[in-house]
Amino acid sequence: MEIKVKRIPKNEKEQIEISCHEMDDTVREIVSFVQSRQGQLSCSLEGRQYEISVTDVLYIESVDNKTFVYTRDQSYESRQKIYELEEILKSSRFLRVSKSTLLNLMKIKSIKPALNGRFSAVLHNGEEIVISRKYVADLKQTLKGGAK
Amino acid sequence: MSRKEVFQTVLNKFFIIVTLINVATFILGSIFKPNDTFGYGAFIYPVIYGMISSVPVLIFSKAGRQLTIKQAILRELGLLIVLECVLISFSYGLSGVERNPVEVVAFALSVFVIYVLVFVISRLLDLRQAKILTDDLLVFQERELKKMEEEKSR
Repeated sequence: MEIKVKRIPKNEKEQIEISCHEMDDTVREIVSFVQSRQGQLSCSLEGRQYEISVTDVLYIESVDNKTFVYTRDQSYESRQKIYELEEILKSSRFLRVSKSTLLNLMKIKSIKPALNGRFSAVLHNGEEIVISRKYVADLKQTLKGGAK
Repeated sequence: MSRKEVFQTVLNKFFIIVTLINVATFILGSIFKPNDTFGYGAFIYPVIYGMISSVPVLIFSKAGRQLTIKQAILRELGLLIVLECVLISFSYGLSGVERNPVEVVAFALSVFVIYVLVFVISRLLDLRQAKILTDDLLVFQERELKKMEEEKSR
């Protein structure tokens, strides 16, 4: 696929246009990457595609090689891997809190110790997400304003 | 828990255990053998007991998955029983010396008290850390909300 980047004057609107023969997986991945950079995640639920605002996402979890995106009312499936989303959402107040979970820090109500030496993040909807000790240092650093 | 997490947990507990064993030795020694004196070798015993106690702690901490509260309580109970058996065997069984049963009961009781204190101290330390994290989180959220508002107003 040929890539063209064209500089335009400031008064013109920036845009990305993809010219393709058919909407295949590669094109879908590119679209979903661009959307996620713009605060939108491309997800599916029961065979239908949805664009979810990143600010509505509570957390993202990887289960059996599949990635699930959880909002207050629904859980969607994403085509992207959790490490890809981690990279994309780093600047959107998301942080890896365990091997399989990416958490929206803006949706946490409080943090409490779990019985097994780990910590739990209590979300505004009452759900509890495990924070592994391994990631506590990163969490501390992020909360203090330092980049991971 | 990962290996690093397990190691950190066990190391934290090891130092708490050694400190509490020193206190227990002082209390039990003052009650049962107030006139005994010891050489420098006595200083190593709390460390040995601490290391022996750390082995079951290490094994029981290596739960690969997230435990429910009920499973976690059962695990703690199992750990206590194993610790009592290991420490009583090490302290009395292997030496072959006949001991006063009251001494053995007092020893078992001190193991229990130390176990509970280690649990409580670890929990208090975790609660303190969780409170600091929550306070930092609230400051972070406020700061980020302001940033978002500024970005919107541009």
